[in-house]
Amino acid sequence: MSASSISLGTTATAAALAVDDLQVVYTVRGIDRAVLRGVSFSVAPGEAYGLVGESGCGKSTTAYAALRYLPRNGKIVGGSVHVAGRDVTSMSTAELQEFRAREASMVYQDPAQAMNPTIKVGKQVIESFTLLGQSKEQAAASAMVALRKVRIADPTRVMDRYPFQLSGGMQQRVVIAMALACNPKLLVLDEPTTGLDATVEAEVLDLVRVLRQETDAAVLMIAHNLGIIRQLCDRVGVMYAGKVVEEGPSAQVFDDPQHPYTVGLLRSLPRRGVRKTEQALSTIPGILPLIGSDLPTCVFVDRCPLADETCRTVVPPVVPVGINGDRYTRCHHSDRIIEVEETKPGVDITLLAPAEGQPDVLELSHVSKTFKQRNHAVPALVDVELGLAEGETLGIVGESGSGKSTLAKTMLGIESADSGGVVSLDGRAVAAATGGRSAEDKRSMQMVFQNPDSALNRAWSVRRILMRSVEKLTGIKGEEANKRVETLAAHLRLTPRHLDLKPRQLSGGLKQRVAIARAFAGDPKIVVCDEPTSALDVSVQAAILNLLADLQSEQRTSYVFITHDMGVVRYLADRIAVMYLGRIQEVGPTDDVFHGPNHPYTEALLSAIPSVDGEEKVRIRLDGEIPSPANPPSGCVFHPRCPRVMMGICDVTEPPLAEVSPGHAMRCHIPVEQLIELQRKPV
Amino acid sequence: MSLQSSGGGGSRMPAVPTPSTGAVMPPVAPTSGVSERKQARRENWRLIRKRPAFIVGCLIVLVWVACAILGNRITPHHPLDYRGPINQSPSWDYLFGTDKTGRDVLSRVMAGARDVLKIAPLAAIAGVVFGVILGMFMGYLGGVLDLVASRIVESFLALPTVLIALLAITTLGNSSWVVIGVVATLFTPIVARTVRSAVLAERDLDYVTSAKLRGEGKMFIMFREILPNVTGPIIVELTVRIGYAVFTVATLSFLGAGPPPPSPDWGAQVSDNYNSIVAGFWWTTFFPAAAIASLVIAANMIADSVQSVVEAS
Repeated sequence: MSASSISLGTTATAAALAVDDLQVVYTVRGIDRAVLRGVSFSVAPGEAYGLVGESGCGKSTTAYAALRYLPRNGKIVGGSVHVAGRDVTSMSTAELQEFRAREASMVYQDPAQAMNPTIKVGKQVIESFTLLGQSKEQAAASAMVALRKVRIADPTRVMDRYPFQLSGGMQQRVVIAMALACNPKLLVLDEPTTGLDATVEAEVLDLVRVLRQETDAAVLMIAHNLGIIRQLCDRVGVMYAGKVVEEGPSAQVFDDPQHPYTVGLLRSLPRRGVRKTEQALSTIPGILPLIGSDLPTCVFVDRCPLADETCRTVVPPVVPVGINGDRYTRCHHSDRIIEVEETKPGVDITLLAPAEGQPDVLELSHVSKTFKQRNHAVPALVDVELGLAEGETLGIVGESGSGKSTLAKTMLGIESADSGGVVSLDGRAVAAATGGRSAEDKRSMQMVFQNPDSALNRAWSVRRILMRSVEKLTGIKGEEANKRVETLAAHLRLTPRHLDLKPRQLSGGLKQRVAIARAFAGDPKIVVCDEPTSALDVSVQAAILNLLADLQSEQRTSYVFITHDMGVVRYLADRIAVMYLGRIQEVGPTDDVFHGPNHPYTEALLSAIPSVDGEEKVRIRLDGEIPSPANPPSGCVFHPRCPRVMMGICDVTEPPLAEVSPGHAMRCHIPVEQLIELQRKPV
Repeated sequence: MSLQSSGGGGSRMPAVPTPSTGAVMPPVAPTSGVSERKQARRENWRLIRKRPAFIVGCLIVLVWVACAILGNRITPHHPLDYRGPINQSPSWDYLFGTDKTGRDVLSRVMAGARDVLKIAPLAAIAGVVFGVILGMFMGYLGGVLDLVASRIVESFLALPTVLIALLAITTLGNSSWVVIGVVATLFTPIVARTVRSAVLAERDLDYVTSAKLRGEGKMFIMFREILPNVTGPIIVELTVRIGYAVFTVATLSFLGAGPPPPSPDWGAQVSDNYNSIVAGFWWTTFFPAAAIASLVIAANMIADSVQSVVEAS
């Protein structure tokens, strides 16, 4: 039974894209390794189809295979791909070139790489039209129209610039304009907003949504962010280990998943405002199989809570869901989905409450950091005041360039604060630079980095990594230190076998556990976590967040948690600080920040989150780009982009960080009563 | 709040996978990890063995190493003392012919492997060791040191190698140690440049930041943390340098900086006999020259294979 035959009833000839039983291998070290193990789906003209799944599941490979853009070591070994009725797999090189020029387009994750950095934007856009046979003059006119179409207000100015002179969001618009130049029948979007900030991402997604109505191109969208897929795609295919395991209309699949993997994936997201004090996150046990490994008949069987012998020996049937015939799941036990239990242990809520009435473990007072750049002073942090209680998690959010990471580095002394600023530990001022701090101060404050690949020494074994930190931070040596390493590892759910491996032999989640174990080697009082889960898949993220919450409840550790993911920060943080251009714009208890009243910037940030729950939100648009910190706007630094700006005040004086309710402060001239009125949410 | 005391109750860590039905436990990462790593190494090894260039290169080097070790014991005649008919062209009796004093060229070429195989690898290794140290300091410490050292390195690279070498050898004498020292000195800046750029890529990685956060010293960070991560380019550089060292050492002895005439050293043989090419006695020059070429090419073949496999993994 072919999956495409029941998915929409579109045949290979009518569909804009029809993928049937596609099999792709990558040749690694001389051996062919299966990546796609029979992928089937079809996309109707004008339809948007999303592929989701964790990294390594084959979703990007599917997208590239659809246009035969596979890397040199990849090849299609079975199945077929039809775009607008034409067989892509059997095209000659010349036909393929023609096909890519006229029938299909692709938008990649990094717009900067999709453009030639040495050629002006205008010339590149014009070129995509001359390629189609238009004359120079025609093409120039078409380019203007195309740029207007992607909502670029001043195309003439943009065309006269080089790609690097445009912001990421603007670059992606230009790339989309070029992709649409040939009026393609199929538009493939591969993580088009992953590198962009939340507010910019929302704008690009808005644009794609509008453009979809204006053109009749079919859209194949790859994203790891389920919220984006829900908002943008009519139908979604959930991929696991090179197979589509479930397919159906996005809203239905996300609201009522019918495959054990989809269920696990959705449950591991921190959703609907759930907090660490309420429940732990659900996880999917086990790890994604490596590409090329031999898999049983059902690819998910090793991690499935419903699996039995049948799943290993009989190919799972494609089971239609619902009565419309537009949904299916590939499972033997689709009737028992409801039995999938949540793998989440209980929690001791009282232990998680931050200490009250005690002096803060960490205090920042008038901390600023100014970088020197070609004789220009670039203020990256401006007069930051923060306190952190024992056992408390302070979330720090903001877009790139807001100074989050500089703040973390300045706390730790990796960057020295400007003179005048004071970092205090337990009420004691410490040296600005790490090198000047005492061993005890170094022990008290450690860091978990964003990318565990970079954070762990690739040449060292896990045991050596942990051992060195234990010895250096606690002074314990020899056999005793080794024992401590083993205790530490056991605490982080690493087995003794893991200790003798090198980092590259571990999965991303295990690597991050090692990195966390290292930070905890000396029983720190404060751990600074810089986006510790943003490089991880959601099911792994859930396990890491659980672990962090657990360590905190046991050891009363305080966290400074930097993230751009509002769902994650809502789950983990007790308080949230919102940063913009190196200044704290709003700080307050998590609930207050999420319920408002908010600083207009926070309001825009919150409205930009694509929700997987499909809740309706009023998007607050932010105009313009984040200004350069070297040349901050006058008055309130947010005023040029603020939708609620009051000219005459906001552009003249910078508002103070004033308390609006106990513990909740913001930098805004608008009186709080008025903000509440403006931001009243529809019930 | 120590870790040892904080085990036990209230744990809400993600439980060890316990599927609710009778599913077989998933293979945990470590098992697959170990086998995967061995597998990768085996596959890499198989890949390099599959390269004809690697096999041929190794065979040639092995032949010369055997000649160098066994020397007089396997040469058909004594390389220095034997006197046969003079200026014989290659024949079944004398495969490579004989020279102007009646010595067997084949025996001399075989025995001549010893000098170059003793000096070239030592010179390359010494050059790489000093280059690694210099490159590490330049890359990691940066600043004024890097600026000054980089300019010196560049000016060194601009100088003609052989001239400098000859100058040094004529002033310092032409013992093997001087040749090794001179070649090593010439190689140091080249290696340093490679290592410097590899270190620059490592310097800003978070594991280095993490080391600083726990208070490690600069020497520890450079030679214990970073060094093991730049071994790939260093190994490649070493294999490449050995090839160049063979060539440089042979050139020097051709120019007279090597062992004096009766020695069967290849460069010395070429230098001793190239005058007689015009008289038609090509074999006394050709075979030692071919020997040099074969060793240089073999070393480069191995270097290329190692490089492509190191870069792929």
